[in-house]
Amino acid sequence: MVKALVACRAGVGSSLMLKIKLNQVIDEQGWDMEVEHSSLDELDSFDGPIVVTLSDVADDLKNEGIKKEVVGITNILDKKEIETKVGAALDKIGAK
Amino acid sequence: MIEKMMNPALTQLNVVASDWRDAIHKAGAPLVKAGAVSQNYVEEIIHSVEQYGPYFVIAPHVALAHAPSDAGAQHLAMGITTLKPAVVFNNPDNDPVKYVFTLSAPDSNSHLKAMQELVELLSADSFYQILDQAQSPDEIMQYVQENVAAEKE
Repeated sequence: MVKALVACRAGVGSSLMLKIKLNQVIDEQGWDMEVEHSSLDELDSFDGPIVVTLSDVADDLKNEGIKKEVVGITNILDKKEIETKVGAALDKIGAK
Repeated sequence: MIEKMMNPALTQLNVVASDWRDAIHKAGAPLVKAGAVSQNYVEEIIHSVEQYGPYFVIAPHVALAHAPSDAGAQHLAMGITTLKPAVVFNNPDNDPVKYVFTLSAPDSNSHLKAMQELVELLSADSFYQILDQAQSPDEIMQYVQENVAAEKE
């Protein structure tokens, strides 16, 4: 079971919608993943390997040098984009 | 669920805005008037964009304007504002913004069901057609009620 955190600035809107869409993709793909959502403030206490967020937030996190696999999504309604990018992250950590 | 967060008084069609700040002010105004959010909440949305960029432009032409709950989200509500002409929010992938959904969520979980329904609405082309073509807020409310109800059957 791979743990992923969906995070956004506020933790009440975009991250929740992205989590809903990501869970649809996980069901369709049969990935062994568990998804939480929160604001970025809670990022430090998250112990899983993957963080999924909007692309501009992802750029900031990568610039900060965060030690997680960071996935940035441009269109959170686009299941294909989510599948491709999160799938690549799973490959990278050897979980697929 | 989401139809309970929306109402015609929070819905505005073909609003003219001079820039993204003006768009956020105008999209937030009905929620302030209804007591769903404080004026500070609207200012905090703008302040957050200035600080972090347009983090809530979540899909092509769609903005989910919101701030952290403690900025002044007083009760659960969803405003809809369509912009005409569309407005640049400096999100190169998803600009220009035509539809602003202003979310007030006092905590991070009570609106899970509503957000599921919003995701389904935003995944259907017919929703954008009604947003573009509606002559009155009531037409959008009717669409939402019919389609959210249809999913439950």
